Amino acid sequence: MPFRHAILGLLADGPLHGYDLKTTFDRQLSPTEPLNFGQVYTALDRLHREGCVLQSEVAQSERPDKKVYALTDTGQDELRRWLTTPSTVDLDLRNDTYLKLMIARRRSDISPAQIIAIERQACMTRLHELNRAHVAAQGDGATVAVRLLLDLAILRLEAFAKWLDRCEIELQEPAS
Amino acid sequence: MNNPGDTLIDLRGVGRVFGEAAAQVTALRDVSLTIRRGEFVAVMGPSGCGKSTLLHIIGGLDSPTSGTVAFESRELAGMSDDDLTLLRRQKVGFVFQAFNLIGVLSTLENVGIPLILDGVSHGDATRRASDALARVGLSERREHMPAELSGGEQQRVALARALVNDPIVLLADEPTGNLDSTSGDAVLALMRRLVDDGKQTIVMVTHSARHAAMADRVVTMRDGAIHGDNAIAGGRTPRQVLAELESLT
Repeated sequence: MPFRHAILGLLADGPLHGYDLKTTFDRQLSPTEPLNFGQVYTALDRLHREGCVLQSEVAQSERPDKKVYALTDTGQDELRRWLTTPSTVDLDLRNDTYLKLMIARRRSDISPAQIIAIERQACMTRLHELNRAHVAAQGDGATVAVRLLLDLAILRLEAFAKWLDRCEIELQEPAS
Repeated sequence: MNNPGDTLIDLRGVGRVFGEAAAQVTALRDVSLTIRRGEFVAVMGPSGCGKSTLLHIIGGLDSPTSGTVAFESRELAGMSDDDLTLLRRQKVGFVFQAFNLIGVLSTLENVGIPLILDGVSHGDATRRASDALARVGLSERREHMPAELSGGEQQRVALARALVNDPIVLLADEPTGNLDSTSGDAVLALMRRLVDDGKQTIVMVTHSARHAAMADRVVTMRDGAIHGDNAIAGGRTPRQVLAELESLT
């Protein structure tokens, strides 16, 4: 659960209950992939067991009491450790396109070149969407979070397009 | 006559061979391509695949050794040298990898050069050059010398110079090749706006997939021939993509 530490980071601003945590996470960090409540509570339970968060009940007159979560000293230390430890960048070495290319090499009904053409078209179409959103975002004065996520997505697709060029050269069929 | 979407440039079976006999090099073979008004087309391919030759032939800088090229339904092969010169000067705007600005002239004077060559009066040339500079967002740099501008700004001045005659088509050969990626992105964003806001037709040669993806259509070349020709527009709109992200506060 890579977002577990981000939860600690949000609690560093002050105690929150589960619902607020979820909506803050979705609104400020990850609108495209909102968390579900199950994920949030599973993460909070684990953080509680690890001594990173403190759970307390707040009495409510009309509804059942709600649980509020606060960061402990252990949680502070764990947050600090996470922030200063390099992340494992997912190199995606079981990439779907790579697997298609390897399978296509074994077949006579479809060639790697056909796979590359299909993937390149899809990649360029997505890159086009993101590029245009990037231009629009600049005109709009979009937030830094939006700009950073667009950059990440665009640069990843650009790298993928370059990799497809390399695949084309490596998998070229010998001229007959 | 000026309907967007109608055929602007039409290449039929175009070939280009350089040199003679045993030393012949085939730069283009049997290339057929239609550029419609208002299109933004990127041409990609490895070095030596013929993409720059193709751009030069589209702009009348070079002639094919076989096949035909028609510009607004007029065949270039039938045009006199004077007509070809006028076509290049008045209907086509060129931007190259090197910015090719004249160091002893101000930004405004550089942009006005094509008009002065055309015999436009000094006052009119200055006014139109100012307008072109405004289109590339560099009005405040009009009195600066090229050496006082960043690479990205110099390329935008080159873009203004290419646009000053209101060309029917803008041809760009590796326009971001000499720029860092941020300046390159800014030049491409500007070109995109020219298409969106001004219905400018653009054909651009580039090595960068990211920059090619700013166009609406990507033509890929291999060994002097067209290998792929795909529309890449028509997916989600910028608004839809941003709506997904915009709840970020």
